[in-house]
Amino acid sequence: MEAFKVKRVFSDDLGANNPVFAQILGICSTLAVTNVVKNTVVMCVGLIFTTALSNLTVSAMREYIPARIRMMVETLIIAAYVIIVDIVLKAYLPDISRQLGPYVGLIITNCIIMGRAEAFALSNPPFLSFLDGIASGFGYSYVLLIIAIVRELMGSGSIWGIKVLGDWWTNWSIMVMAPGAFFVLAIFIWVVKGMRTEEEKGEKK
Amino acid sequence: MSEKTFFQKRVFPIIFMLVITLVFISVTTVIYTFTQDIIKINESLVLKRAILKAAGFEVLQAAADVEKLYKDAVSEVKDQNDRTLYYIITKPGLLDVQGYVIVSTGSGLWGDITAAIGINSAKDQLTGIDIIAQNETPGLGGRITEPWFTNQFKGKGGPLSLVPEGETANSNEVQAITGASYSSAAMKAIVNSTLQDAQRIIKS
Repeated sequence: MEAFKVKRVFSDDLGANNPVFAQILGICSTLAVTNVVKNTVVMCVGLIFTTALSNLTVSAMREYIPARIRMMVETLIIAAYVIIVDIVLKAYLPDISRQLGPYVGLIITNCIIMGRAEAFALSNPPFLSFLDGIASGFGYSYVLLIIAIVRELMGSGSIWGIKVLGDWWTNWSIMVMAPGAFFVLAIFIWVVKGMRTEEEKGEKK
Repeated sequence: MSEKTFFQKRVFPIIFMLVITLVFISVTTVIYTFTQDIIKINESLVLKRAILKAAGFEVLQAAADVEKLYKDAVSEVKDQNDRTLYYIITKPGLLDVQGYVIVSTGSGLWGDITAAIGINSAKDQLTGIDIIAQNETPGLGGRITEPWFTNQFKGKGGPLSLVPEGETANSNEVQAITGASYSSAAMKAIVNSTLQDAQRIIKS
């Protein structure tokens, strides 16, 4: 029973109910950080950490949180974890913290975290909620990484700051700017949705 | 289902919120207190590295090396309000002035750019520059921190002008970054105004 639930949480968050391409959540950060792979990875780690722990905390307290102030409490919990991420980055990974600048603070406003707390953690036990947080984080991360790899490769000719394409490649500046993210994200959603519709058709037959 | 009392409906949520706020503030305060020294050291290290790089020294990785070279080669000049005006660079062990470094701030595309700008003792050439803080678009204007961009200021004399990326630059020209015209122009403006101010600020 438990194993079945865990499996469903992961398959849901990574596929059918993916936060980015199915629920279209967290688009702001998807557009903002995906032009360089390195920043994307740190953003994803920060998000996985925050979603997992805020889900765990909200779920552990769900019996006690008064319903009418539950959103305030959730925001407070999320903000506390994000501040912790920010402080830890500043202290132990100062270079990455300098590069990310204001993006770390913006994790607070990522709708995925609030969405999972509201939709999952409030009605499920702590451990399952923790796993759901991790699964949602991964669901968000792999989509972002695919977009980031395409954008950095086409926009700067490099991956993780290392030149991959030779001098013959002309950088597409638009890929580094926000419009590039819209194009890549839209194409990604189009392909994934197209594949899913095909699958569903096959199942019906 | 039983009717909720006044306490449960109105008072409890307020107490709950107060208590939970206190708990989380305490947790973050504790973490902050334990890490603030490391954060301060990191920040001063960033500044020291930038000053040394602007002065034309090799970039050192180890924190201890940076501290040692900084102690040997850099002295700070402050105004009456204890604000640092500029840094005097000497060769380690010698007293001759090799040059000066001024930390100056100008506006970039999204926010301020702070840079350390090194000037030779004759105050007519740059010994190097390094970016201390910036909020430019990552991948575009953010490239002002890349070594190929900052290194090209070395040995140049002002007032500087920009040429397109990839073109040969003369002794008073630097290459701009493609796709980041504004950030490149901002850097040019910061360096030029610092070169101009240097004559006034630095008293030899």
